[in-house]
Amino acid sequence: MTAPAQPLDGIRVADLTWFGAGPIASRTLALFGADVIHIESEARIDGFRTGFPRRPGARGYNASNYFNNWNAAKRSFLLNMSIEGAREVLLDIVAQSDVFICNMAPGVIDRWRINYEELRQVRPAIIAAYQPMQGATGPHRDYRGFGAVLNPVAGLSHLTGEPDRPPIGLGTNFPDFVVNPGHTAIAILAALRHRRRTGDGQMIELAQLESLAATIGPALLDAAVNQRDQSRIGNRSDWLCPHNAYRCQDAPRGDPHPDAGYDGPMTRERWLTIAVRNDQDWQALCRIAQDQPFARDPRFKTLLGRRRDEDDLDAQIAAWTADRNARELMHRLQAEGVPAALVQDGQDIVEDDQHLRQRNFYQYIDHPETDLSLHDGPPAKLHGTPARLQTSGPLFGQHTYEIATQLLNYSPEKIASLTAKGVLA
Amino acid sequence: MADPPAALDGVTVLDLSDEFGQYAGKLLADLGADVIRIEPPGGDPARSRPPFAEDSPDRSSSLTWWYHNAGKRSVTIDLAQHDGLFLFRQLLPNAQIVLESLAPARREALDPHRILAEHPSLVWVAATAFGADGPHAGWAATDLAVQAMAGPMLQAGYTDGPPQRIGGEQAAIAAGIAAAQGALIALLHAEAGGEGQLVEISAQEVYLACQARAALNWDFNRVAHERTGDAHPIPGIGTYPAADGYVYCYIGVAGFGAPWKHLLDWMLEEGAAADLATPERRRILDDLSFRSLVDPDTAESAKALLEPAHAAVSAFFAAKPAADIYHQGQARGLLIGIVNKPSDILASEQLAARGWWQDIEQPRAPGRDALPVRYPGPPYRLSETPARLHRPAPLAGEHNQEVLTEFAGIPAEDLLAYYGEGAI
Repeated sequence: MTAPAQPLDGIRVADLTWFGAGPIASRTLALFGADVIHIESEARIDGFRTGFPRRPGARGYNASNYFNNWNAAKRSFLLNMSIEGAREVLLDIVAQSDVFICNMAPGVIDRWRINYEELRQVRPAIIAAYQPMQGATGPHRDYRGFGAVLNPVAGLSHLTGEPDRPPIGLGTNFPDFVVNPGHTAIAILAALRHRRRTGDGQMIELAQLESLAATIGPALLDAAVNQRDQSRIGNRSDWLCPHNAYRCQDAPRGDPHPDAGYDGPMTRERWLTIAVRNDQDWQALCRIAQDQPFARDPRFKTLLGRRRDEDDLDAQIAAWTADRNARELMHRLQAEGVPAALVQDGQDIVEDDQHLRQRNFYQYIDHPETDLSLHDGPPAKLHGTPARLQTSGPLFGQHTYEIATQLLNYSPEKIASLTAKGVLA
Repeated sequence: MADPPAALDGVTVLDLSDEFGQYAGKLLADLGADVIRIEPPGGDPARSRPPFAEDSPDRSSSLTWWYHNAGKRSVTIDLAQHDGLFLFRQLLPNAQIVLESLAPARREALDPHRILAEHPSLVWVAATAFGADGPHAGWAATDLAVQAMAGPMLQAGYTDGPPQRIGGEQAAIAAGIAAAQGALIALLHAEAGGEGQLVEISAQEVYLACQARAALNWDFNRVAHERTGDAHPIPGIGTYPAADGYVYCYIGVAGFGAPWKHLLDWMLEEGAAADLATPERRRILDDLSFRSLVDPDTAESAKALLEPAHAAVSAFFAAKPAADIYHQGQARGLLIGIVNKPSDILASEQLAARGWWQDIEQPRAPGRDALPVRYPGPPYRLSETPARLHRPAPLAGEHNQEVLTEFAGIPAEDLLAYYGEGAI
């Protein structure tokens, strides 16, 4: 048996997804060899294509690196599903695909008649993955949402933030980036293995609510077993102490792009997280902070003592860090084995984190409209068959003609007719 | 009825991982792999991790440990001893995947490159906070450190307070999700006749995706995103106190749920927001959106209404129970989420109707009764090969004999000797 060069070579994915949770799942498949056909339409434009960031002044569907990054290594095929004849084209693609992914709402899937049973008729071994918000069944099947609305429903908002302040959320569409696409990719990979062994496809349903709630398993067990509701505790821990983020000396901010329209402060906050896991960590912290009262205070010698006077201890540590350089202090603490970590911003992770740079996590890929631009590396580094991250996201409709002729074997007349009717648009 | 087939039938995983890999082991176990958790004699230190079932602090009752290790078998082997290493190597010929979170020196001691040379189709997954190499490899870390170094924290939290980590040890979970993806991709490759390989996970790198646009924006504009707290330009976006809790709303963004008009109709139907009902105010508010705030034709009048509209929405929600806001708002097509506590999720009619939870008898240390426990269900549903909890969380070393004799062919009398010297 000759192994393919890339683990997923020969796997084709019909990718009827938009925004984050769907496209990021199929991106991982593309990075490891799958031919991912991203099916999109101007009639239902992907919010990432119209979104940001862009280079200052850049317009159009191809200039958002939010889209280009998360759709790297895919092909783009235009198909307006609301025009008659489009469903047949989609089924023609599915008939030649191994995997179908769709993160449209259940009602849209009903309307377009593309549920698993319907796809099976043209491709019996298809693996069809859907990502409904709360599931395709149940009393809340039609509830709407996206990452930011899901955070509260799945319990994450309640567990994030200061205990005496409202649960204002996570600041991002958190589950759209790793949790939901990652779980979806796992299910598809497992289904690919099953298909290889049996020849059978199957349906995957990732209810985004279930996927996200599964990440707070211990809190759900605490409620189930102990009838206790965990709640947000800021950056503290329910057992370790100290365990918090401490403000350090502000740092200068790198010069913004002159056309970026930035008129905020030219300094930035610096926060250092410190977690003391055991006596050894505490003693190491005290050695480094030996001139500080907390390092000699007998109250703080034991975990119980530190927890009892945690407010006082946190205030003293914060007073110590306040006029110190966060990155230097992080290195001193880490040299002694203490888990200290700088709260990093965009500038840090792109430019200043020497570890990330040395590991070449971010890749700079050329793109016809955005030039050399930053892309996330793969979620997993496979040393034998590294991810193939050579092309950025496709231009809008870049591969429609190529796919229609070479994969679907459509005649030029048929393509012209479908184009004229607005199907391939 | 026979059990349905499992996607990972016939796959054995040796799981030596810590918090940055154990969720991957759980996911693989639920998909049907035989995941053998290798703990030091006496049990994994993570068994001491609170909270505990019935607040009983013994090594068989950690809920965090339960969640991440249910479905696995447990073998206690001292890998620091020569004989422990020998036993570990005896398990390798039957394993397809090794999953570990070792510090660089300890990984070196196991010599994965030699093991991969001896077992050419083995997949070796190293899932750690910062990856297997680079200047920070082996740095001390808890979930908090990774959340900090990867960026999402800086966007979460109140503008007048510290950045906030996301609840639920999410950086460690993210690493587990990536480790399971990497393990399965490499497994598919090895099973197709390719070679096994080292799969390296850095929790920091995985979790970087969760900072959304901070890196991309820095690259293009050299502007760093920072937390905006709960300040939003449009009333109807953000967290609102309800009569008995909180809701989160996202209303007034084109393409995201029903428009502002539906919120206004709702308030007026219930006798609220009467001061917004004039035809001129309605005309502006029906279409209130980011667009109407920048459109020169509407911006001025829209901005003038933000304050009264915000006051009306706040008062309307403050008088209603959160569940009513959530269900009635969703029925109107408005993007509204309820801020659920864990117990609310436990009581969710949606999850109950879908049979998500899985009840299982969870054994505890000798002398303590097993406990019926309601476990969260899997993150996905596979129609032909459903993921499910195949067994409760193991006691430390519960499967020593069964695994080491039957699986690795170690005779029972030899096992006694290994026990005697503390290798098991």
